[in-house]
Amino acid sequence: MAKVLVIGAGFSGHTAALYLGDKIGRQHEITVISNRDVFGYVPSWVWVGVGHMKPEKTIFKLKPVYDRKNIKFVHAAAKEIHPDAGDQYVLGEEIGTGKEIRLNYDYLVIAPGPLLNFAGTPGLGPEQGFTHSICSMPHAIKARDAYLALCDRMKKGEKVKIVIGTGHPGATCQGAAFEYIVNVHKDLVKKGLRDKADILWLSNEPALGDFGVNGVQIKRNGHVLKSDEFIKAVFNDHGIRYQVQTGVTKVEEGKIHWQNYEGEEGTADFDFSMLIPQFKGQPFKYIGKDGSDISTKLVNPAGFVLVDGKYGLPYPELAQTPSAWPAQYQNPNYTNVFAAGIAFAPPGPISKPFTNKNNLAIAPAPPRTGMVSGVIGRVVAMNIIDLIKTGKMTHSERMTEMVAACVASMGDSLWDGNAVTIVMRPVVPDREKYKNEYGRDLFISHLEMGVSGAWMKFMLHYTFIWKFKALLGWKLIPE
Amino acid sequence: MQNEQEFSKAEKFWMNFKLYQLWRFIILNIKVYTIAVQSKWR
Repeated sequence: MAKVLVIGAGFSGHTAALYLGDKIGRQHEITVISNRDVFGYVPSWVWVGVGHMKPEKTIFKLKPVYDRKNIKFVHAAAKEIHPDAGDQYVLGEEIGTGKEIRLNYDYLVIAPGPLLNFAGTPGLGPEQGFTHSICSMPHAIKARDAYLALCDRMKKGEKVKIVIGTGHPGATCQGAAFEYIVNVHKDLVKKGLRDKADILWLSNEPALGDFGVNGVQIKRNGHVLKSDEFIKAVFNDHGIRYQVQTGVTKVEEGKIHWQNYEGEEGTADFDFSMLIPQFKGQPFKYIGKDGSDISTKLVNPAGFVLVDGKYGLPYPELAQTPSAWPAQYQNPNYTNVFAAGIAFAPPGPISKPFTNKNNLAIAPAPPRTGMVSGVIGRVVAMNIIDLIKTGKMTHSERMTEMVAACVASMGDSLWDGNAVTIVMRPVVPDREKYKNEYGRDLFISHLEMGVSGAWMKFMLHYTFIWKFKALLGWKLIPE
Repeated sequence: MQNEQEFSKAEKFWMNFKLYQLWRFIILNIKVYTIAVQSKWR
């Protein structure tokens, strides 16, 4: 009987666990260790953050699902990973009791989600700093409370400044921040308060609509439409000011300090701000048989797990080398260790990085959330099943082959809500396969705005919670 | 878009015209599903 251990129960870890439990859970031991005992449907936290959805509608308990799928659940925080052959285990600390837990494994999936590195930007974040975040459930609730308090001030006639975007020159997840800014706009319009707010989009993207994936390009009526034109039109329509090519360097109470591509330094005043922090890998200890630190064999300096990608290529070469992106998410030094979702180390950025004259690198990190996370979780699970059954992996999917669909909500009303539906193939441009300057399939790639997107977003919320609860037909729903 | 920075009145009309949006909802669902489900076979 093989022991498979999954660290984390987010999009990638939970997806991996469900496939493992479903296919081999009766014959083998599948265990999930997570510091949270609920699954959180992250895409809907944008609605929690403006008070349009109750937090409890976005979560459900993991254990009942795992019980049905023959998966053992351990509610504990993983601390140490001991991957050396002969004695492979993970040490964790049980939530609530603090008791040390040892979990042996034959195969390990590292999928704990990101460490939200608020410390990377002085003054950033809802705990030690002055800004808000929607990256975790408690943060989204705190953002909601602060936002609603701001609305009360506006109702009394006060004019306010709102800044939303990225809080670090190397941050990712611009899509979530984009959704939040347009939802805030829409909510203020509905409350009749929009004229009381000056809203600014502040982002590290090279251009509007870049989203850390080098933008989205589609062919429409014979010409190429780019996401920067599209998002510019959205912001102009909504009266949202924008500033891109900007890295936030420090936050003080009511003041954001930034540097831009030109090396200029400046500030943006705010009464309310939601800025996405830099993501890092979880700070696990990787310990060898002799007790030494072996983290360099498993993770890069940012804590992301090294897998089967080609690391160290300069950006121009990486942009022309689709095979540099990992296919099976397997650590080359410990072949029974896999990483899924945000946890794996990408070989480099997707968007063109930039370093200004002050030596500040302003470069969005590649997004590996949502659909990408789920797909990687499934690929990893299927390969582990292959290895257990036949000893040979048969599944692979690089981000240069992957399709991603994203619905960016712009108001949740089914009558007058709106959303941008984005489809990209592939997520990371493949200039070898697609012979255009964008490296994408311009026929499949899609960019559209309308009420239908709001309906889709709503449908996705319920469809995916159904899927993640592993209810009837869950495997028919794509990741 | 009528130019690079604004949506035209016609575009805004179609974005909110419910019958057309129902059609787009069906089309988008079919398109996204058929593309995304291919990943399952990899």
